[in-house]
Amino acid sequence: MGFINGTASFVRFSVEGDLPENVWDFIADRVVAFAFRDIDETYEEDSLGWVSVFNMFDMEFNYASYAAGNYVTLSMRHDERKVSSAIVKKYVQKEEERIKKEKQIPKISRTMRVEIKERIQNELMRKSLPVPAVYDLCWNLENSTLLFFSTNKKAQALLEDHFKESFGLTLMQQIPYICGQHLLDEKDADRLAGITADVFL
Amino acid sequence: MDLVDLIEEKRFIGQEFLTWLWWKSEERGGVVNLPSEGDIVVVFEKHMLLEYGEGESSEKLTCRGLQTELQEARTGLVMGKKLEQARIQLTHNDYEWNFTLAGALMEFRNVKLPKTEGDTGNTQNPEEREGMVLERIFLFEELERMVLELFRLFLQLRVGEGWREELLKVREWVNRAERA
Repeated sequence: MGFINGTASFVRFSVEGDLPENVWDFIADRVVAFAFRDIDETYEEDSLGWVSVFNMFDMEFNYASYAAGNYVTLSMRHDERKVSSAIVKKYVQKEEERIKKEKQIPKISRTMRVEIKERIQNELMRKSLPVPAVYDLCWNLENSTLLFFSTNKKAQALLEDHFKESFGLTLMQQIPYICGQHLLDEKDADRLAGITADVFL
Repeated sequence: MDLVDLIEEKRFIGQEFLTWLWWKSEERGGVVNLPSEGDIVVVFEKHMLLEYGEGESSEKLTCRGLQTELQEARTGLVMGKKLEQARIQLTHNDYEWNFTLAGALMEFRNVKLPKTEGDTGNTQNPEEREGMVLERIFLFEELERMVLELFRLFLQLRVGEGWREELLKVREWVNRAERA
């Protein structure tokens, strides 16, 4: 559900900065360089990158192109290994009990506790399966605007970083005030900067 | 000023826009005239979220119901609450969009695009697929364009000489809810 089918939620960004003259070559290069890399067979904690909007397993864009007219359409895929704090707590306690019994000691030292927690956390992380999340975007090259199909703040922050890293361009969220500055002429935009909230009753 | 502060300080702009748009749509029975487009139909329906106060002490009021039953939301306005989210139906050139607009950040939520004949989401043909993508982009951008035109109309009034007069009309409409 989202950009390609069904109902969708989106926020608007402007794309700040200049693209080189050979735009499509540059984009092709960067999309591939910053495409998603699978971590199913590794122990990495997370992975973030571009995939096709039609298929989250298509990282080479063989199945469908990201180009549609003057638009770039991409999905940002984020796979993350997560372990709930309750599970970590349980296994840390279990390991502490085991060590106390094994070493015949009444208490675990602070340093040892930190070491146990770190080790257990790593072990559990390796065992957990990466959870995927996919967010679509549509970049209008003519107007330098971008629709991002998620209202999740964490996803928006990941997008801003990954977009900057991939294309060297900055995304600026179009909140009403910033959007208003673009919509009005210079004189009215100055006035907008000075207004304060009004009472509607 | 960084974005977080700017969002907080200026969140009233989007909320005032939503309140004004609600009044504007009711002023002519759902019809709003856009200078660039002519008449478009804007109907507030089903779902509204109002906010009062800021930060931790803020209160929220959710109202659900048919258009005529949104009296509770109007009463909320009388009590000084601000409209933060509204479900809107927008119709223009035989196309109908349904969406929720969140005022403070101008987020478009649960957008239902107009039905079109060219829904070929499962096609394997790359050209048809690109056509389908471009059609959806067109429909998203049309919605965006019209909401921005409405917003421009509001902003020009809001910063212009005629705002006091407009505000009196909105207040009169808000206060009518109290008397109803």
